[in-house]
Amino acid sequence: MRFILEDTINGILMGSIYGLAAMGLTVIFGVLKVINFAHGSLLMVGMYVAYWAVILTGLHPYLSLVIVVPVMFLFGYFLQDIIIKPIFKAEKDVREPITVIIVTTGVWYILDNLSLLVFGPQYRNIQDNPLRGKMLEVGGMLLSVPKLWGFFAALLTAGAIYWFFQMTRTGRAIRATSLDREAASLQGINQYKMYNLAVGIGTAVAGIAGVSLVPFYNIFPSVGVLFDIKCFIIVVLGGLGSMGGALLGGMIIGVIEHVGAQFMAATWTEAIVYGIFLVFLFLKPSGLFGVKYEW
Amino acid sequence: MRGKNIWWKAYVCVLAFAFVCSMAFLTDRPALAQPKEVKVGNILPLSGPSASVGQQNRQAQDMAIEEINAAGGIKSLGGAKITLIYADSESKPDKGVAEAERLINTEKVHVLTGCWNSAVTYPTTAVSERYGIPFIVPVSVADKITEQGFKTVFRIAAKDGWWVRDQFAFISDLQKEFNKKLSTLAFVYENGDWGKGMASGWKTLAEKGGYKVVMDEPYPSTQTDMSPLVQKIKRANPDVLLLVSNAADAILITNTMADYKVKPKAIIGSGGGHADPSFLTAAGKNAKYLFDIVEWETDVNKPGAKEINAKFKSKYGYNLAGESVDAYVAMYVMADTLERAKSLDPKAILDALAKTKLTKGPAMIVGYDAIEFDATGQNKYAALVMVQINDIGKGMERISVWPKGARRAGYKPVFPIP
Repeated sequence: MRFILEDTINGILMGSIYGLAAMGLTVIFGVLKVINFAHGSLLMVGMYVAYWAVILTGLHPYLSLVIVVPVMFLFGYFLQDIIIKPIFKAEKDVREPITVIIVTTGVWYILDNLSLLVFGPQYRNIQDNPLRGKMLEVGGMLLSVPKLWGFFAALLTAGAIYWFFQMTRTGRAIRATSLDREAASLQGINQYKMYNLAVGIGTAVAGIAGVSLVPFYNIFPSVGVLFDIKCFIIVVLGGLGSMGGALLGGMIIGVIEHVGAQFMAATWTEAIVYGIFLVFLFLKPSGLFGVKYEW
Repeated sequence: MRGKNIWWKAYVCVLAFAFVCSMAFLTDRPALAQPKEVKVGNILPLSGPSASVGQQNRQAQDMAIEEINAAGGIKSLGGAKITLIYADSESKPDKGVAEAERLINTEKVHVLTGCWNSAVTYPTTAVSERYGIPFIVPVSVADKITEQGFKTVFRIAAKDGWWVRDQFAFISDLQKEFNKKLSTLAFVYENGDWGKGMASGWKTLAEKGGYKVVMDEPYPSTQTDMSPLVQKIKRANPDVLLLVSNAADAILITNTMADYKVKPKAIIGSGGGHADPSFLTAAGKNAKYLFDIVEWETDVNKPGAKEINAKFKSKYGYNLAGESVDAYVAMYVMADTLERAKSLDPKAILDALAKTKLTKGPAMIVGYDAIEFDATGQNKYAALVMVQINDIGKGMERISVWPKGARRAGYKPVFPIP
């Protein structure tokens, strides 16, 4: 029984980090209505930025957020502004801009291979950071401290994004664009600027996820691919565009991985995750908290 | 008018002379009719999860080919130079097969080599067999690759059946040397062809040796979190943990095990990820006391080994690993074969490969003394070494410990893990 409790807690901790990784994807989807296939690569870029920030300045990994978040925001902002926006404009009469999806796939390949060229294929991690290998012992249960930090980072990030979209003027303008870009434009909202902001925010969130992974995870050029598919599943599970959904979806997957693995081979837990994904697609394609919208 | 005629005759004479000369030139030197280039298709995982090892293989092979070409190429083919044509498998079997088809049909390669991942090599060898193109496999160790009855497949590395055999011999020698009983084993392996192949060998040998298997667990190499697996190992509490891992998962498992304070009496890796140079830097002191089985180690006592490793290190910045050595050696086996084949006809190359008997040259930096292929195309003499990762004052390093004859002088293995 204690084992199951221990596994559930660890599953929730790791799952919240998955959720954090997926949150950026869900922000971008919610606003642009585009599946960003380059999301894993953005996460990878975030991890490298965090890695170098910590290595070069010797900061506590979570203090490196003061560098990572602005850098990643600008990266996302200009990625959208320079590379994706022109395609958007070319496709402005289409409701679901398919070519943009293809462009994001291109961005994924370019980023992964660029980092392979620039950083080389080695696996890196931060050997001596204050969080590495720290465990918390609670009543005979071992809980990973870096993952606990990740858990709180995920909660705070989800809360902050929710607040931003609900309470600030810019946030509401972004939401207006996501609901109906024509109508929003008529109200004087510059939709392309909103898109830039949304991708910037999504990328910054990927950066936060990168920071939460860096204390205990390996950094290498194709690391994003490992998280990519998981992020898509989480986003569908939680409902496209929903922060809380992403967090909950991540936790569900984390718990399945941790608890399930004690009763069956790890290969099977992966099959179960995909199975649940399929069931959701059949029964509730809008996900746990998704809105079934049809404009 | 007359003067013009003389010039005309003179011109014809010169032309005829030139023609005869060039004919003589052509017949004198048949080499001119021979191709000046041997094309070798090399399928490796240059991106994707195994990109790190793929690059290391590539660098070792590039260095070998540079040396061979600089030494005059293949002399029996008029100094033909070898060109490696790379194709990226991304560790995907279907990609490997498609690239092999392309290399054979479009690039018209004379020899194929690769593919590092057993799962890619296995279906890819079927393509080369169909076209009758020789396929030199440096490192893919899955037994079945040379057990398909193919005539075109030749493997340099010891097959995984032998790795398993030597791991168990090591476990029993360890018990004798330290007079400690090891009775329970845990098997944890990546769920590809390689891991599963090794694990099925372990199962048979564990039964024969009277060991109790307390855990038998495949896991996907792409797993993002190893703590469930590590928890399971902790609860199974084995004496010996046997692992088959690629680099990313080897690092993650080692670090997570240190986090959860899981300490079996011995941990034994199976090369691959554990032998990857970035494993030592990324796992650091968490890797201490881990045993690993490898084809080769930098402290191997063979002529030329030190120099070649030094050259490699100055070129690329890290030591040769066992797999890079096999990749390097494979290029010299190929050069030796082509030298004896005296032709680029696949049949001649295959015959020469089957008759390989290499006992000298740079290829002999391997731990054993000769390269010869048996009827299935397996290098008969390939043998393995056990190392322990430890810090004896010069940072973490891999120290040869088994067989006892190959043990580094003055080193006593640390067992059980303190």
